[in-house]
Amino acid sequence: MKIKIKCFSQVKYAFGKDELKMELEAGTSTSELEKMIRAKAKGKLDDISLRVAVNQKYLPNEIELKDGDEVAFIPPVQGG
Amino acid sequence: MIKIEISEGPIPFFLNDDSRQQDGAELIFNGRVRATEHGDSITALEYEQYEGMAEAELIQLAKDTCQKFPIHDLFCKHRIGKVDVGETSLHVVIWSKHRQEGIDAMSWFIIELKKRVPIWKWAILEDGSRIPSECSHD
Repeated sequence: MKIKIKCFSQVKYAFGKDELKMELEAGTSTSELEKMIRAKAKGKLDDISLRVAVNQKYLPNEIELKDGDEVAFIPPVQGG
Repeated sequence: MIKIEISEGPIPFFLNDDSRQQDGAELIFNGRVRATEHGDSITALEYEQYEGMAEAELIQLAKDTCQKFPIHDLFCKHRIGKVDVGETSLHVVIWSKHRQEGIDAMSWFIIELKKRVPIWKWAILEDGSRIPSECSHD
C-alpha cells in the first residue's frame, strides 16, 4: 500500500522535504511506521517527541494504516 | 460566536464594536515576535502550518473554550509565513459579561493553542539562515 507522510518543523529539517511517499506492507501500524521514520532520520529525531495524525486527525492510539492514508508525525507545536 | 482566520501578511485587527450591551469585558491579546530566541538574535520568525488541520484544530479549540467558560464570543487570527520582529503573529479577542471568565478563557485558549494546533516556528537568524525554533511550551 502507498502512504503519504507530511513533514513539518524538525521532521522537515531532518529529511529536507515537505513530503515522503512510502510503499508499506498491508497491516503496517502507525507505531511501526514511526520506528521506520526515526530509523530513516538517522538519529536526527531521537530527542524529539512525535504525535501521530492520520488524515489530519490526532490519534489517541495506534492503528493499522490503509492504502492512501496521509500521515504526519507531529513534533511539539509552537503556535502563538 | 467564533471567528477563526489563519492567513499570510500583516494582521488587520478586529474592528472596535461599541454596540455590545451584555459584555462588560473585552479581552484583547496580541502575540508579537521577540528579537531573541534562546539568547540568539533573530530578524523574524517564519510560521508553518499543517494546512487544513491547523484551522480545524483552532476552530475546535475555540468551540471547546466557549463551552468550558461562560464567554460570549471568541475571535482569533493567526498569521503564517514570515513575521518580522515586533510584528503581531496572533490576535485574540474575547467578550464576556465579567472580566474574570474572559481572563480565564483567554489564558486557557492560548495554553491549549500551544499544545494542540499544528503550527510551528522557524527562526530566521541575522545571517539569513533558517532553522526550526527550539521554543515549545509543553
